Amino acid sequence: MEVALLIALSVCAIIAAYAAVRVVLEKRPLRKLPYLNVLSFAISGSLLLILPHPLSIVVAVAYFVGSTLESNAIASTYAGGIQKDG
Amino acid sequence: MDSLLVVIFGFIAVIGALTTAFNREPYIKLISMSMMIGGIFPFIVDRGFLDVAAATAVIAPISTIFILLICRKGEP
Amino acid sequence: MNPEFILGLILLLIGSAVSAFPRPKNYLIQLINLEIPGWGLLLVMLSYNEALALFTFGGVSALSTFILVRVIEKRRPI
Repeated sequence: MEVALLIALSVCAIIAAYAAVRVVLEKRPLRKLPYLNVLSFAISGSLLLILPHPLSIVVAVAYFVGSTLESNAIASTYAGGIQKDG
Repeated sequence: MDSLLVVIFGFIAVIGALTTAFNREPYIKLISMSMMIGGIFPFIVDRGFLDVAAATAVIAPISTIFILLICRKGEP
Repeated sequence: MNPEFILGLILLLIGSAVSAFPRPKNYLIQLINLEIPGWGLLLVMLSYNEALALFTFGGVSALSTFILVRVIEKRRPI
């Protein structure tokens, strides 16, 4: 049981490192954003596996929702945002 | 936490901080700042401060959305 | 020497050096650079097991960002 958890944690961390390298190497901001989402999902899974505690799911859900909201806000503002009249 | 995980998350945080510091466009700086925050979070959870981590995960996107209010489309 | 302490000091040094001399000399760039030493200071506070300091610093940092955004928005001509 312990070995399977360690393998899953290592897979999540390696996916996070690969996504971080791809975020840095892309040039345009709209090409960076999907890899930022991949990194956010990998870290949200890694937070859940790092500490076996019943409150750990709350942290993972809060980070998942917050990071997705932040990424969507950046994309929406870059693509044109809310048109202010006046 | 293993030393492999410390190296990987520290790598993500330092690369994010360097890209945030030395890039010139505001949107790329915000994306890299989000990456730096993602690298910092497992260190908070590993110490056992789960309530602090849950509060910080809610506060950090609000701080970014405040910065996005003055980051208009006209200037790239 | 915890890894949190060393990582916090690295972020604090990079962030304060860049935030003192922003490269395009602009209020927006300086405000984004100011976020980096905040997270570095949070990691240094985490290294000393201070839970109440983490709560208070996280709340006040977001409030300070909001006030600075209001000031910059009022100063810039629309």
